[in-house]
Amino acid sequence: MIEIEHLTKRYGATTIVDDVSFRVDEGTIAVVVGTSGAGKSTLLRMINRLIEPSAGRVLIDGQDTMSIPEDELRHRIGYVIQGYGLFPHRNVAENIATVPRLLGWDKGRIAARVDELLDLFQLDPAEFARKFPHELSGGQQQRVGVARALAAKPALLLMDEPFGALDPVIRSKAQDDLLAIQRRFGTTIVLVTHDMNEAFQLGDKIAVMDRARLLQYATPAELLTRPAEAFVEQLVGTAERPFRLLSLVCVQEALEPGGAEGEPILVTDSLRDALSRLIWMGRDVLPVADASGALVGRVSVKGIMEHGRSFA
Amino acid sequence: MAGLVPAIPIMKGSALHAIGITGTRPVMTRQDEGEIDGTHTQDAGGAIKTGSFVNTISSRTTAPGMPSLRPSLSLDRLGSVIAVLIGVALFASPFVIYRANRIAAGEGRMLVDALPPSGAIGVMIVTLGVALCAALLRAPLLRLAAASIGLCVIFPAVGWSAGFVTPAGNTFARVSPSLGFWLLTLSFALLAADALTRLRLGPWARLAAIAVAAGAIALLLSSGAWDNLSLLKEYANRQDTFWREARQHLWLAFGSMVAACLVGLPLGILAHRIRRLRTAILQVLNIVQTIPSIALFGILIAPLGFLATHVPLAAALGIRGIGAAPAFIALFLYSLLPVVANTVTGLNQVPATVTDAARGMGLSARQRLWQVELPLAIPVILAGIRIVLVQNLGLATVAALIGGGGFGTFVFQGIGQTAIDLVLLGAIPTVVLSFAAAIILDAIIDLTRRGSYDRD
Repeated sequence: MIEIEHLTKRYGATTIVDDVSFRVDEGTIAVVVGTSGAGKSTLLRMINRLIEPSAGRVLIDGQDTMSIPEDELRHRIGYVIQGYGLFPHRNVAENIATVPRLLGWDKGRIAARVDELLDLFQLDPAEFARKFPHELSGGQQQRVGVARALAAKPALLLMDEPFGALDPVIRSKAQDDLLAIQRRFGTTIVLVTHDMNEAFQLGDKIAVMDRARLLQYATPAELLTRPAEAFVEQLVGTAERPFRLLSLVCVQEALEPGGAEGEPILVTDSLRDALSRLIWMGRDVLPVADASGALVGRVSVKGIMEHGRSFA
Repeated sequence: MAGLVPAIPIMKGSALHAIGITGTRPVMTRQDEGEIDGTHTQDAGGAIKTGSFVNTISSRTTAPGMPSLRPSLSLDRLGSVIAVLIGVALFASPFVIYRANRIAAGEGRMLVDALPPSGAIGVMIVTLGVALCAALLRAPLLRLAAASIGLCVIFPAVGWSAGFVTPAGNTFARVSPSLGFWLLTLSFALLAADALTRLRLGPWARLAAIAVAAGAIALLLSSGAWDNLSLLKEYANRQDTFWREARQHLWLAFGSMVAACLVGLPLGILAHRIRRLRTAILQVLNIVQTIPSIALFGILIAPLGFLATHVPLAAALGIRGIGAAPAFIALFLYSLLPVVANTVTGLNQVPATVTDAARGMGLSARQRLWQVELPLAIPVILAGIRIVLVQNLGLATVAALIGGGGFGTFVFQGIGQTAIDLVLLGAIPTVVLSFAAAIILDAIIDLTRRGSYDRD
């Protein structure tokens, strides 16, 4: 668990981060979102003390980060940046082994961990371990960057625009992969982005920042239905709101008894996907099936619309 | 690279020194300029890595994909120039010069008069064959072979000619290579250098090539084939001093380089870390670099002389106003700028994301320097050391002027006695050393550039 308490950074008269407090629960993803210059990266870099705070403190599992020597602290926190910063003079395996080597792991353990991570990120060790970063595609570099950050099994992962340099197709795949890996290891992640879609796709909670201040820290649904300020409302996009809301809810929630004609929709799909199918097929209702293919009910346009409405 | 190191005057002091430096340039700099650029844009792809010079030459001469109007006999441009040079060397220039004694005015001997008829005809056939190969053949390996054969024929031939031209029993007469021989050497060397560039040899292959060349020269000298040449007679008269001055020359050049590295690397790292210090250090070193070498040697005489007379320890260490001490210090001062400037440049071009990631993963400042920054900066730092070494090997000749020893001793003695071959006895080893140092360091630079481009 990460507790950020009254974190502040000032350079002379300018305040970059102004009294920010929030808590990230064990095994969840907190996305910090905001326009450029809002102080997101500075906030993130104060967590692993790349930037020393002017005031306030960060607790990791109750321990004040200032009480841990900074290099030691960083060994325990994974760090991924836009551009990844892979070491160009070291091959993929050596890059991934960076922190384990600093921690003095023995060779066998390091090699096993490198292979495990390469497999996990769908990079064949036989092919990729000896390659140099410049021989990799952008997507492969990104995966190596994340693998390197996860090498010493950190409980916390900090990511600063980790998908910023990827094209849209590879980006959404990389986001899905990150989610899968996060769910598998239960890693706590704090991720900085300016991409609202990314925030909604990844965040268990979203922190909206503007001009050094934290405007709202809430779940995606709350952010949509109860924006704290006009700026938050504007940032989440008024036109996109209902669709974003629908994408957070799965078909199960809008399940109605009865049957219908047509190809069934999966019960685990999002309502947004279901609505788009309904519109595309030109129907008002479609049957719903569970993972085994058995029909469990139906879903209707009217029922879906109930979930895309403001509660206010 | 030269652009990164501001205002390094290459030609200092004597004209001979200039030969020492410029002699190494045409072959080496083209290639390394392209490759150093490659470190700056390491991910930009293959076009930059190989060096644009190579591309222009080969595309101009081979023109792949262009339908040729003269399919069988099209002339190679550089090859044609070389062929013309060979023609001039053979038919319009004396092959050797004969002097009645070592300082008398010389008379040129054309190739036909310089060798017995069969030998002269043989040499002529071989050299003309090389000229034909240069003009007509495209394959770099064949051109390299032709150039090598040419060199392997004319080098022993000039020694043979010395024995042939010198009247029997005459110990005063001197025979030296003349314009014809030098033009032939230049032509073949150009042909070989061009072929080597087109072959794009890897660093190990280049090191092997220079080892073969060194072996061939050693074989030639030890076989006695050149013993009748004036150059080797000068050497024979000064065998002991030659090797002493050689050691002194190497000590001056390498010692001052090592000292400059010991001081310059930390200074460069410091200048990289502290921005305000950087400008100050680089400006001071820039000013030092602009002082002419002879002036700097002279300037140092006074304070060192003072030191020697007033500080017993300094005198005990062999520090005097003239001699090796001021020469060593001057070379050291000249060496600082390339080392410091390239260290700063090398560290600057380490990508910010890389150092940020290194910090974020918990590498300490020392670990970042040794494991990330220096390894990434080392090719640029070595390029600075290469400049220093080539510069020092040449500049060390001037040290002889203030009694510092080195090959310059023979150069200045030779000038004083108007004995050109004595001048050459000092100049040729200097040129050869600079040339070899440049090639070897370039190969090492390539070997250290791990990960920034594909190695063969």
